Order: sequence, then structure tokens, then C-alpha cells
Amino acid sequence: MRWLAAVVVVLALAGCVGPAPTTDQYQGKAAHTAADALAQLETARLAVEHAGRLPATYLETVLVDAEEAFDSIENTFDSIEPPDDPMADRLRSDLDTLLSDGSDGIAELRIQARRSDTAAMASTAHDLGETAAGLDRFHQEHDT
Amino acid sequence: MKRVFGVALGILTAIGGFVDIGDLVANSLVGARFGLALAWATVLGVIGICLFAEMSGRVAAVSGRATFDLVRERLGPRVGLANLAASLLVTLLTFSAEVGGIALALELASSVNYLLWVPVAGLALWLVIWRVKFSVLENVAGVLGLALVVFGVALWQLHPDWSQLVQQAVSPRNPPGEGLPTYFYYAIALFGAAMTPYEVFFFSSGGVEERWSAKDIVTSRMNVFVGFPLGGLLSLAIAACAAVVLMPRQITVDTLGQVGLPVAVALGKLGLAFAILGFVAATFGAALETGLSCGYSVAQYFGWQWGKYVRPRDAARFQLVVLVCLVVAAGTVLTTIDPITVTEYSLVFSAVALPLTYLPILVIANDPDYMGARVNGRVANLLGTVFLVIILVASLAAIPLMLATRAGQ
Repeated sequence: MRWLAAVVVVLALAGCVGPAPTTDQYQGKAAHTAADALAQLETARLAVEHAGRLPATYLETVLVDAEEAFDSIENTFDSIEPPDDPMADRLRSDLDTLLSDGSDGIAELRIQARRSDTAAMASTAHDLGETAAGLDRFHQEHDT
Repeated sequence: MKRVFGVALGILTAIGGFVDIGDLVANSLVGARFGLALAWATVLGVIGICLFAEMSGRVAAVSGRATFDLVRERLGPRVGLANLAASLLVTLLTFSAEVGGIALALELASSVNYLLWVPVAGLALWLVIWRVKFSVLENVAGVLGLALVVFGVALWQLHPDWSQLVQQAVSPRNPPGEGLPTYFYYAIALFGAAMTPYEVFFFSSGGVEERWSAKDIVTSRMNVFVGFPLGGLLSLAIAACAAVVLMPRQITVDTLGQVGLPVAVALGKLGLAFAILGFVAATFGAALETGLSCGYSVAQYFGWQWGKYVRPRDAARFQLVVLVCLVVAAGTVLTTIDPITVTEYSLVFSAVALPLTYLPILVIANDPDYMGARVNGRVANLLGTVFLVIILVASLAAIPLMLATRAGQ
């Protein structure tokens, strides 16, 4: 039974942290993360751009789903141990900035949607366009 | 006049009942990622389901027995058990996905977390299965499912570049950045979505519930050959909406809310209200079908009294199996596993189980002991054999492609 317990523990730990032994692999994971994050950010922006055509309940659900998915993507990337390489550190730093901006922005959109602050939502969605462009650029540059 | 009304209602029900959570998710997801480059997989799946649903409907009409009532008798208990095990597991997984789909649709309408809707959906399903007449539950859910036609209206209102959409559909190409394994993985998912095994269980058992006889073969064929292709067109409209609105924004679909966004963009709140009604009706109708199909398959294998045409007390074991499966399905969703993920896996595992579902139909539809002069003709057998080969290839490739692509990532 001990070996079974050991296997379970190893598998559980492996599920918690995704190792990235080489810089190339880390870069691939970063590019993939940027694409996934972009999809959620664009979902939130699209919904907000058409907020007047969406019932409040629908808009809120879409934003909450996008926020949760975005945060999960960010946490998964942060859990990956980067290789000991300055390029990997730079990748991590660049993407972290974009992910952090995106996460904050979607959270803001959710709060503004609950307050029915249409003008603030439009402004935040517009500002998030730069983050979206940054994520798209990051994905294009690093997709291997 | 009554007969014409019956045929029309059957066709409408077949259209509305064709789309379920698997079709909604798979078509929107694929449309957003591949445009209409995988429309051929949906078309292929629709042809396949038409072919085999016609056979199973004919078997029910001629023999007065559901196809799977005959599997054990015709192919022996071992083959019957393998068939039962595979189909029950896949149908149960699909049932869970449909229950999750109802809850997600209600969340969109209320912004109340979907997990709180799961017990409500479960209770409503049980009450309907227990109390409501078969014809009522089938027709009401199917006709309300027609609300999904709003995706076709939305597509028209989006003023897409039709020539580009047609070009994508008729000369399919793998979009840049997508590997061929991923392309074929999603092709199998779409094929599995159109040919989900429960559809034929339900269709043939439903024929027995409605006491079809040989004179109902025409009605059955009209439902299949008109209703299902129009349902397939609905699936393509969902994919096209995603291709027009979501694909240019690089949005990948992993929530039901994203599936409805193109309708909101095109038609606003009223359109979205229809879409949500369609989501609820399609998933609720499919949950009824999958739940009953679980009961049908188990009861038919063991030779128990089954069906809604008898009182619940006279088919107690059948009703108990349905209830247990409902508890398992709702319980699966309540573990907080993502219902959309369950849906995606149910499609792939459906594809794996397809040969076990469709081979027996072909065998029985060719058996003169059951079918008399109504056995398959040459064309049906040729097409059936070709499709069995396709089904076998899809079945064998599904798991390796799922592993190779990390479930389409």
C-alpha cells in the first residue's frame, strides 16, 4: 500500500506544479497561456462592447466566467517553475505584467457591470484593448 | 389532416430535438477555432444518424420492439452486455452533461450559480419523467427547442461574407496554427455529437412507446430525413455564428455564455431570450431523452417491463434505473466538475462507443426473421457498411487523438 500512497502523492504534486525544464518548452507554455488569456479577455471586452444588447444577468455571468477562467490561466502559469535562464525570467516578467493588467481589468469590468456603470465599462474595455494587443503580440512572437 | 399534423409535429420535434449540449458546445467551439472548415464532419454525422435512425425506426415499426430489445436475443448475452455497458456509460456521461447544460442555461438567465440550479433541474426532470405523458414531453421539449432557429436569424443579421463561409465549408483547410491531429480530433467530436448513441436508443424505443406499426414507417422517415437534416443546419448556423463573431476576436469557446454572444451581438436582448429558451429546451429535452435511454437500455437487456406507456408501478425497475441514473448524473455535476468539460469528453467517448451501437442496428435491420420483407435494401446496406467503416476509424482514432492533442488543446 505504501507504494500506492507514494504514487498518489507524486501524481498530486505533479498536478500542482507544471515543470518546464527547457527555455523552449517554457516559451511554448507562455505563448499558449497568452492565447488562452487573450480569448478570455476578448470575451469580456466583446460582452461589454454590446452591454446594451445583453440582459444584466447574462453580462454578469459572462464576466464572472471570464474572470474565473483568466485567473485560473494566470495561476497555472505562475505555478510553472521557470528554467534558470535570463530569457525565461524576461518572458515570465513580460507575461506576468500583461496577465496582471488583464486580471485587474476584467475584475473592474465585473464591478462596473454590477453597478450598471456603462460609461466606465466602455472606458475600461477600451483601455484593455492595449492589454489584448500585448497578449496577441506576445503569442505571435513566442508561439513555436 | 390529423396525420399531416402528426407528421409536421414529428418533423418540428426532430429539428428542435436534434441539438443538445454537445452540439451547442462542439459547433460553437469548432466554429470559433476552425470557421466552417469542419462543416463536412457535421454533414457526415447527419447523414450517418439519418441512415441508422431510419433503420432503427423501421425495426421498431415492423417488429414492435426497440432495436436494443432485440440485440441480446439476436446477438447473444455477451455482445448484448458489451453493448449495454458501453452505451450506458456513454449515455450516463451525456446525461450528466445535459443536466449541467440545463443548470448553465438557467444561470445565464438568472446569474444564480449553476450548482444551485442542479437539484432544481434534477427534480424537474424526475417529475416530468414520472408524471408527464411520453408524447407531451417529447413534443414540448422539441418544439421549444426550435427557439434555437434564432442562430439562423442571427447569422443572417450579422451580414457575413457568405462566399467566404461557403468557401470554408466546401474546400476545407486546416487554419494556420492548428495541427492536423487537432483538426481531426474536433472532426471526430462533431461526428460524435451528430451521431450520439442515445439518439437511436430513444428514437427506436420512442417508436415502441408511441405504438408505431408498419404504416408509421413514412412518418418515421419524414422525421428522420427532413427533421434531422434541418437540425443539422441549425448546428451549422451555430458554428457559422461563432465563425463570424468569435473567430476574428480569437475567442475560444469554453462556456455556454460564449455560445450565445453572437446572437446578442446580432439581435440584442430579444434574440438572446430566444437563445436561452432554446438552450434550456434543448438541454432539458436531451436530458429527458438520455435519462429515459439509460432506463430503456438496462430494462431491455434484462427483459424487464419498460416504458412510459405503462404506469410507473408496472415498470418499477425501469423507473428505478432512470431515477438512479438521474441521481448519478446530477451528483456528477455537483462535484463541481466543469459541465462543458464533461460535454467534450462525452462526445469523444460517444465516438469510441459508436460501433457497439450501430453494428447491431445494421445486423437486425437485415434479419428477415424480425423484418420480413422490410429488411434493408442494397443502397441502405452499402451506405450502412461504408458508415460502419467510418465509425470504426473514428472510434479507433478518438482516444489516441485525445491524448496526442491533450483533448484538443
